[in-house]
Amino acid sequence: MKTNEPPVKDEPEHLAKAPVRKSRNRIRVENLAWQIAIGIIFLSIWEYASERWISALLVSKPSRIAQTMWEWSIDGTYVKNIWVTLKATIMGFGGGAIGGMILGYITATFRRVGEVLEPYVTALYTLPRLALAPLFLMWFGLGMEFRVMFAATIVFFLVYYNTYFGVREVSNELLAAVRIMGANRAQLAVRVVIPSALVWVTAGLKISVPYALVGVVVAEMLASDEGVGFLLAKSASQFSTYGSFAAIAALLVMALLTDWLLETITRRALRWKTAGSASQEQQH
Amino acid sequence: MLLEIKGVHFGYQQEAPILQGFNMHVARGEFLALLGPSGCGKSTLLNLAAGLLMPLDGSVKFNGSYLHGINNNVGYMTQGDTLLPWNTVAKNILLPLELRGTPAQERSDKLERALKLVNLGDARNKFPSELSGGMKRRALLARSLIYDPPMLLMDEPFGALDAQLRETMHKELLSTVNRLNESVLFVTHDIAESILLSDRVLVLGGRPLRILEETICPWGKERNLDEIRKSPDYAKLEAHVRGLLRLADAEQYADAPKGDA
Repeated sequence: MKTNEPPVKDEPEHLAKAPVRKSRNRIRVENLAWQIAIGIIFLSIWEYASERWISALLVSKPSRIAQTMWEWSIDGTYVKNIWVTLKATIMGFGGGAIGGMILGYITATFRRVGEVLEPYVTALYTLPRLALAPLFLMWFGLGMEFRVMFAATIVFFLVYYNTYFGVREVSNELLAAVRIMGANRAQLAVRVVIPSALVWVTAGLKISVPYALVGVVVAEMLASDEGVGFLLAKSASQFSTYGSFAAIAALLVMALLTDWLLETITRRALRWKTAGSASQEQQH
Repeated sequence: MLLEIKGVHFGYQQEAPILQGFNMHVARGEFLALLGPSGCGKSTLLNLAAGLLMPLDGSVKFNGSYLHGINNNVGYMTQGDTLLPWNTVAKNILLPLELRGTPAQERSDKLERALKLVNLGDARNKFPSELSGGMKRRALLARSLIYDPPMLLMDEPFGALDAQLRETMHKELLSTVNRLNESVLFVTHDIAESILLSDRVLVLGGRPLRILEETICPWGKERNLDEIRKSPDYAKLEAHVRGLLRLADAEQYADAPKGDA
């Protein structure tokens, strides 16, 4: 007797036709392989094209840049200048971030203070930071303070606004629940407001790190006698393309390392946020 | 009386008043259910008892004293998820004790009891984002009970649970509040839940809110929920309350401002 039911397949055959989901690790390895391959292809084309298709004076070539990088690593040029830039970046980032967090918390918690200061903060935020460079130069001279202050003013506003909105966005329902449990104002801040705002604050901090580096490098390029920015400006002024690229390579490594470091810290601090999705991913 | 709401007026600007001269009370050890249509003002009553809202007129007295701010002597379980997402289940449940400076040993003992009560022992180190809706409600219940408040305010606490878990939670809640002689002010939409759990049901409706009927549930403290469900008295009471609730629904609809339905 014929029926409309589909024929029952043998299990092995049925399973063989089921779509196979790639594991997360395998996807990561594949992505890494692609990233390395793209880098090698790009460098190979660059090496080949230099002097053949484009003047080496303009783009240099990877082998020459690598040679300069090696020389600078051996003679201490890298260590000395990277350390100066790194120190200024850390100090500028730290100062700007701490200031931004404190003021952001105060203006969001005490609404009246926020309302009074709002036009001043907005005016300073919209002011192009580069316009402050001549003033800072007059005030602080060519030294470390100039670079630190320049980076700090950039970082300050990014962290300020993120902290401000983070504190303002804290759920009233959570606050009410914890107040009923007996929390005083300080306990509310420590237990609810700060952890809740941390999502925004960490986002602000993550965005700020590259900006702090940019601030320091720009300051070093404008007026300085040391640091990676100085190295870059000096190489460019001497038409040393390979020197410029070697300085840029140092900046790239610094930016990638600081981003990785911050990403690791952020992931650890906010692991509660991704815990649910991580466990669901494992279940798949 | 543990909670006494007397002549309370409450409402928001440019809206019809929610409460106008409203009176109700909860005795010590009493389980009182508030049953009524959505949006009628049941949660407002809970918020007044918690001190989150202040009456425009009239008074709210708790344990003989007038309430002028937050009421720290109640456990409040709202409809929403108020677990702190950055704390684990254990840290969430312990929070009221930590805020009150309870000694470490006592905290630890109470945590174990609370986790056992709501059957969350295996999930103690999980974050709320890793929990199902039902597990979150159980963690919230444990957190509300852990500091032994004399009164629990519960706003549809088991609405998200499946039927089986809800029954278990009903039994656990009753045995816990009876053991601790706690009062409960329980807001629900569920007629069966209100009749089974409470000593008294206030069927509410209208705008401003009023008590349509006060129903006594004659089951006693040591009640067997399964037996009650089978009894003819329960069926009769359930049908009666259902009729009242229909009336309240009709009134709510009739009282709603035009275009609000």
